[in-house]
Amino acid sequence: MHTLRVYRRCLGAHLRATLEYQADFWILVVAAVLTQGAGLLLIATIFARVPRIHGWGVWEVVLIFGMMVLAQGASELLAEGTWGLAGLINRGELDRMLLRPYPCLLQVCSSRVGMNAFGNLTVGGGLLVSALAHLDVAWTPGRVALAAVLLPSALLIKVSLTVVANSTSFWLRGAINTFAAGLDQLGELTKYPLSIYSVGLQAVLATALPFAFIGFFPVSAFLDHGRLAWVGLLTPVVAAWCVLLAVAVFRRGLRRYESAGN
Amino acid sequence: MRPYRAMARIAWRNALAYRVPFLMSLSMLVFNLVAMFALWRALLGDGNSLAGFTWPQMKAYLLVSFFTNCLVSTFTDFAMASRIRSGAVAVDLVKPVDYQKGRFAEALGFALLETAAAATVCAVVLVAFGGVPLPPPGRLALFVASLAAVVPLKFLIVYMCGLLCFWTQNYLGISLARVAVSGILSGATVPLAFFPAWLRHVAEVLPFQAVTNTPAMLFLGRSPGLPGVLAVAVQLLWIVALWWLARRLWHVAVRRLTVHGG
Repeated sequence: MHTLRVYRRCLGAHLRATLEYQADFWILVVAAVLTQGAGLLLIATIFARVPRIHGWGVWEVVLIFGMMVLAQGASELLAEGTWGLAGLINRGELDRMLLRPYPCLLQVCSSRVGMNAFGNLTVGGGLLVSALAHLDVAWTPGRVALAAVLLPSALLIKVSLTVVANSTSFWLRGAINTFAAGLDQLGELTKYPLSIYSVGLQAVLATALPFAFIGFFPVSAFLDHGRLAWVGLLTPVVAAWCVLLAVAVFRRGLRRYESAGN
Repeated sequence: MRPYRAMARIAWRNALAYRVPFLMSLSMLVFNLVAMFALWRALLGDGNSLAGFTWPQMKAYLLVSFFTNCLVSTFTDFAMASRIRSGAVAVDLVKPVDYQKGRFAEALGFALLETAAAATVCAVVLVAFGGVPLPPPGRLALFVASLAAVVPLKFLIVYMCGLLCFWTQNYLGISLARVAVSGILSGATVPLAFFPAWLRHVAEVLPFQAVTNTPAMLFLGRSPGLPGVLAVAVQLLWIVALWWLARRLWHVAVRRLTVHGG
């Protein structure tokens, strides 16, 4: 409990610091809206001409898209600091964190707050709500419970995968981890129904790099859509696996860490 | 001329020395290409056509759009932004070279490598997927000319965004916003033909469309003969106009510079 409180307060401190630069804050909010707007424009223009892509209607795709945006916002809020991990290692600044009586991973995660988190959380939340409103879902207690499990699991997967991607900095040793950025971009593929990809790529996105469990599979399970809807029920299991993986990879990396020296 | 040639050469060597970040940033564009390929194949693969695009034509469009996305994509603006923010730009100011021409020389150096890399990816895709209608030699020459014009054009857009760093602390937001806006208005996200009429009219009078739409339309033979030549002339006009505008912006911006110590 104490650990979580410190984490929250750490994020809070960075949040306040970030909000000091008001112009930059608003620029990033606008940037997030524009970026997601471009993605939505693509979806809107396509669905203006065809009713369905591989059986997926416009609001179902928007729901997947909204989940992805929301998850991105969550990882920018909770684990943005990991994007600075390569720099911390490169400059030997991780030493300082290792001296403190607090889990190093959480210190790294909370060492920064992604300013476009707010833009993405707002846009993602908005998309989620409007998609659900248009899809006219029967909110039985079971459905509500399912959503309550799937949503946090999906967000946790994104946060964990961000940690895993950036933990590769321990091995790559550059000042900026472009590998993680590439991996993150690969995850963007799952903004669209998975069935449009070749079988091999589908398998990668569902198992080795389970980005498809952030949007596509949980939405399939929630809407009970398609043959593979049941796979979405595994989302909490995948989330648990991803968290364990993130912690394990980070620990492994930390064992390799050699200070840059002072 | 000599100092600029040297700057271009250094930029080219720099990019070669840091090829991992370069290839990673390229891989992001490749992943985006993969997603777009899959998405449009799902829509057009069975012989459909949308807004006058068949699958082979769309393949060609996506490849041209990928190519223009690769040009002047990664180095110029972030390098500039960090030098402005750290105050290192003061050193650039005392050098007896023109700032704008210097940055352009660097962008040209990078563009060589970007062209080589993008051409390789396109060649691989062509071999793997094939079926792209190649234009006759005359049109191909015009297409190559318009592709060459994209380099200064895109440089000027990127350069002016970089100059905005004189006003803000953080460049990420501006960069993301630029990518989103120019992605939409250039036709890189969706071909302009898919836009509602009002948005298409807006896009047609702005310089962004000359970055992706013009070369793509030339490649596809949508603007044959005189209109094609005119489209390239419009590109050149935009280069002249933006070059002048960027100069004005620089003169205003540089007055805001405060460098502490040194």
